[in-house]
Amino acid sequence: MEATAINNYVDDVVIATYADLREKATALRVAVERLSSSRTQANLDAAKAAWVASRIPWEQSEAWLFGPVDSSGYDPALDTWPVNRTDLDAVLNSGDSLTEEYISGLDPELKGFHTAEYLLYAFQLDRLQERQLSYLTGTAKDIESTAIALHNSWTAGDNPYGQVMKGAGNNSVYPSQTSALEQMIEGMSTILVEVGTGKIADPYDERDTELVESQFSFNSRADFAHDIVGVLNVWKGCRVGANGPNLQGRTCTGTGLDDVVRASDSALATRVETEINDAIDKILAISQPFRDAITDPDQSDEIEAAQAAIAKVDATLKGSGGVLELIRR
Amino acid sequence: MCGVSERFGFPAIAGLLLLAVLLACGGESENGGRPETGDEPGDTASARAGGDTSVDNRTSFAFEQPAENLSDENLERHLEGDVEFGNVFVTAPAPVNPGLGPLFNNVSCESCHIKNGRGHPVFRDPRLRSNALVLISDPDGEPDVPGGNPLVEGLGGQIQDHAVFGVRPEAEVSLIWEEIPGRYPDGSRYSLRKPVLDITLSDGSSLGENIQVSMRLPLPIIGLGLLEAVTEETLLGLSDPDDSDGDGISGRPNMVWNRVTASTEIGRFGRKAGSPDLRTQTARAYTEDMGVSNPALPAGDEETDITEEQLDLTTFYVQTLAVPLRAETDDSDAARGERIFSDIGCSSCHVPTLRTGEHPVGEVSNQTIRPFTDLLLHDMGEGLADGRPDFLATGREWRTPSLWGIGLTERLLVTPNFLHDGRARTLEEAILWHGGEAEGVVNRFRNLPRDQRESLMKFLNTL
Repeated sequence: MEATAINNYVDDVVIATYADLREKATALRVAVERLSSSRTQANLDAAKAAWVASRIPWEQSEAWLFGPVDSSGYDPALDTWPVNRTDLDAVLNSGDSLTEEYISGLDPELKGFHTAEYLLYAFQLDRLQERQLSYLTGTAKDIESTAIALHNSWTAGDNPYGQVMKGAGNNSVYPSQTSALEQMIEGMSTILVEVGTGKIADPYDERDTELVESQFSFNSRADFAHDIVGVLNVWKGCRVGANGPNLQGRTCTGTGLDDVVRASDSALATRVETEINDAIDKILAISQPFRDAITDPDQSDEIEAAQAAIAKVDATLKGSGGVLELIRR
Repeated sequence: MCGVSERFGFPAIAGLLLLAVLLACGGESENGGRPETGDEPGDTASARAGGDTSVDNRTSFAFEQPAENLSDENLERHLEGDVEFGNVFVTAPAPVNPGLGPLFNNVSCESCHIKNGRGHPVFRDPRLRSNALVLISDPDGEPDVPGGNPLVEGLGGQIQDHAVFGVRPEAEVSLIWEEIPGRYPDGSRYSLRKPVLDITLSDGSSLGENIQVSMRLPLPIIGLGLLEAVTEETLLGLSDPDDSDGDGISGRPNMVWNRVTASTEIGRFGRKAGSPDLRTQTARAYTEDMGVSNPALPAGDEETDITEEQLDLTTFYVQTLAVPLRAETDDSDAARGERIFSDIGCSSCHVPTLRTGEHPVGEVSNQTIRPFTDLLLHDMGEGLADGRPDFLATGREWRTPSLWGIGLTERLLVTPNFLHDGRARTLEEAILWHGGEAEGVVNRFRNLPRDQRESLMKFLNTL
């Protein structure tokens, strides 16, 4: 069952999510090109919607921030924050020709999702001039090519990372199946801690809206929720639906970590899934937008409840009597 | 007593005199101050590489864990430091993290120390930017601190190959690898590679012929607080500058200028032990690598880009990272490899066990640790020589790097790189590059039967 759980993790969670990201990145590039050739409010709204859609698989993929995504710099290329707005303005005001090649040669804090977000959301339609649109198009193309390279890093080439993980027990990177399962759990834990004590806590503790990620689009809360949906996907060994305002349909069928745990402790398996879903629900209970909620005293309870629910999942995964302990037995 | 009782306030010349005394002391020391290890391969004590800081985590996140024994208060401080370590700097003015550049190599600590480990030997990669950097010296130039590297006019001591928009980077660095085929006495083949740099300055010219150039890859940052807590007496005890015990291995401490205390002290951090402590090393990285001015190294009279508290938090973070437990294994090959490691002489410099002394951070004080380093300088031969001295370190000398966690390198990075410039793609290649004082050890390694060489690798992978 361990081997099946690892295989499903690679194929049905990681690679499936990266394939989705690649598709959504292409859709974003197409929407931005359409906006660039016809500057209408409808096209701007469509490009914004495409940006939001592309964030879903990306945030879910943060439940495994290891392997090529860090090692080859795909994470900084896609998701560096903050945007270097001073340099971005200087580039826009320069006479440089904003070709695709030029943009892709720029440093990551001048491209990626948050630069695209800034250009799409911080400007009104009439201020989105040709230079902004050229820059946006170059950025969208770079996001797309990075997403393609990221997907390929797990699926193609001499030694794709998917094969490395599936080969757990037969290579030096993952000397045992247990080591691969530990890696999967640690990936979940890392994003849980990051959302609870970083993405939410940093701006909330300081009551500083400037520290909020995805603040131009007001997409922060959805980002956080989909980080935890990624955790749920890893747990279940398949991608759940998670659509609509409450991210309904959080079910799917596949052999995952949950089944490995259920084989020896079904109560623990059930508890983990309940707690993950509770964390998602608690995040969605914070009022929109998150950047306003952090300074609203009436929202403190909701924000802290979400943090507590996230921490609870992590404790169940890694604490005494938890999942990691069971996997190692 | 052999030791440094006075750390502060003596001028450089006194430091050098003191060094002469200390070196003599090292030669006279009876047991070289070498701690009694006592523990055998595979026992539980030896698994706890970082003493009480050790963490049970051998995943790709193993180098990013807080020391297991941190107090609640210090854990909170560590987590605040973690944020500082990850902060991406941007061009001022900016609402968040202003102060990048104008010249720099990369934009955050963790952009180079990927997953707190080694980076890649890359320059101007569109995704990774520059993980590696190039240090330079002009033998005819003037150092900016007593005994330090003579600076290159207009460039300083390091090439910044990035700049904020509108400013020209100092140079463009391109790197190609030259393959060097080799063969073991048993006939099996290998290939080593070494970097060939092409550096074009912003005006199109090249560096002068006499400029010394040294390419550097980031070092992993785990367990550094523990290494900072190893006493000077211990390091001096391990040193044997005149090889008085006749084992072919000498080893001596670097003595470096500390800008903060304005005195000469033992160097311990960096590839040539050119930094005396973690705060100095951290401050230099902010200034040189990111162009971020800070209170330890202010750029002038103006307000610094980060506060004293931020510098202290980042320093605290690197002081309080855990060391992963060694892998548990019942593999008899790995146990054999550990014996070979000792038998052929690797452990003469990669000293398995050290004891820490008192340190301002209580959690790293008085620990028995297994870093596999003596923190001393050794002649590594012509093959690895960079020809660029650093304080007392010659162009052929390097500080023994720690080996704890080295078995996780492939887990952290998909393509691992070892040695000061990342030339070694595997630990086997790294061993084969050793020369100078390690010549005898490497010859013994080369003459091992293949299965024993593989056992040694299995052992290293448990670290």
